[in-house]
Amino acid sequence: MPKELKDVENIVMEKIHQGKIKMKPKIYFILGSILTFIGLVSTVIISTFMVGLIKFSFRANNGWRAQYKLDQMLSEFPWWIIIIAIISLVLGIWIIKKYNFAHKIKPWILIVGFILAILIAGLITDKTGVNDALIIKHQPMRKMMKLEPPQNNSFHRNIPKQK
Amino acid sequence: MEKPENLSDEKLVDKIRKTDQELYAIIIERYQNKLLRYANSLIKNEDKAIDIVQESFINAFINLNGFDIKKKFSSWIYRIVHNQTLNNIKKYKLETPLLPDWDFKSEENIEDEFGEKETAERVNSCLRELPTMYAEPLSLYYIDEKSYEEISDILEIPMGTVATRINRAKKLMKNICPKN
Repeated sequence: MPKELKDVENIVMEKIHQGKIKMKPKIYFILGSILTFIGLVSTVIISTFMVGLIKFSFRANNGWRAQYKLDQMLSEFPWWIIIIAIISLVLGIWIIKKYNFAHKIKPWILIVGFILAILIAGLITDKTGVNDALIIKHQPMRKMMKLEPPQNNSFHRNIPKQK
Repeated sequence: MEKPENLSDEKLVDKIRKTDQELYAIIIERYQNKLLRYANSLIKNEDKAIDIVQESFINAFINLNGFDIKKKFSSWIYRIVHNQTLNNIKKYKLETPLLPDWDFKSEENIEDEFGEKETAERVNSCLRELPTMYAEPLSLYYIDEKSYEEISDILEIPMGTVATRINRAKKLMKNICPKN
């Protein structure tokens, strides 16, 4: 063995003996999985609400009212959840990827699975009425679901009434 | 009870984490020569390669709890050396670019011309001439005898890309280091 390599072993082991290098606790690495999980759950919740809300909007009314409600939904949407989702996902994946091989799952399987999960969850939520029963009763979604546009709205005034 | 020297890398890591940090010396002994050769093939400087290997063993120890023992330890430690080497290359800007006039004229089957054994010897001597992106998979395949899957794990590239790079590396080697 070359002398320098023998030194490598001695130097590393000496640092371990002297306590100069210590293993990071397991929780540090578990944190990556936890953050990724939180990020994924938040993303699924956001997307499910979005699918449910859009379907809700178009089911209740057609045409200009649907468009109005869609605009209202977007303006009232709690965007901070998306920020939490993004930060959790980015941090979680970064920690996992740094020292693991978790990336080995084929990306297209992840993407297709994720989109399908969101669509199915959204449709089930909508069909079962969970969004109507639970979400509407609580802020911030309640504001989004208040459907009637203000009567003095200029946009509203220009619409000819049905005879 | 099985001697620590006879344990697999993964079982050894498990013991190091749970009971005996002294056993890390066995891991170092098992891998230091291979890793030095690997780092040297990337950075093309033995002194720096030794520093990289030392830093990699330190990093690996610090992050040992992050290693999933269901996976291959060898791929994990090679990956750490890979990252450490790239950081070092970036630091000193030693990256060798692929020269634009290097051609890929030959479409003949290189595999027929280079026997596996002969290729291994030639790879060893010509590797330093190749750009890192081709030298690395070639070195891992022929010198460290890693499978395409392991190389894919270490370099974080798809297996198809591993195969393409090894193929191109062999073509490049044919131009850089002619047979006679």
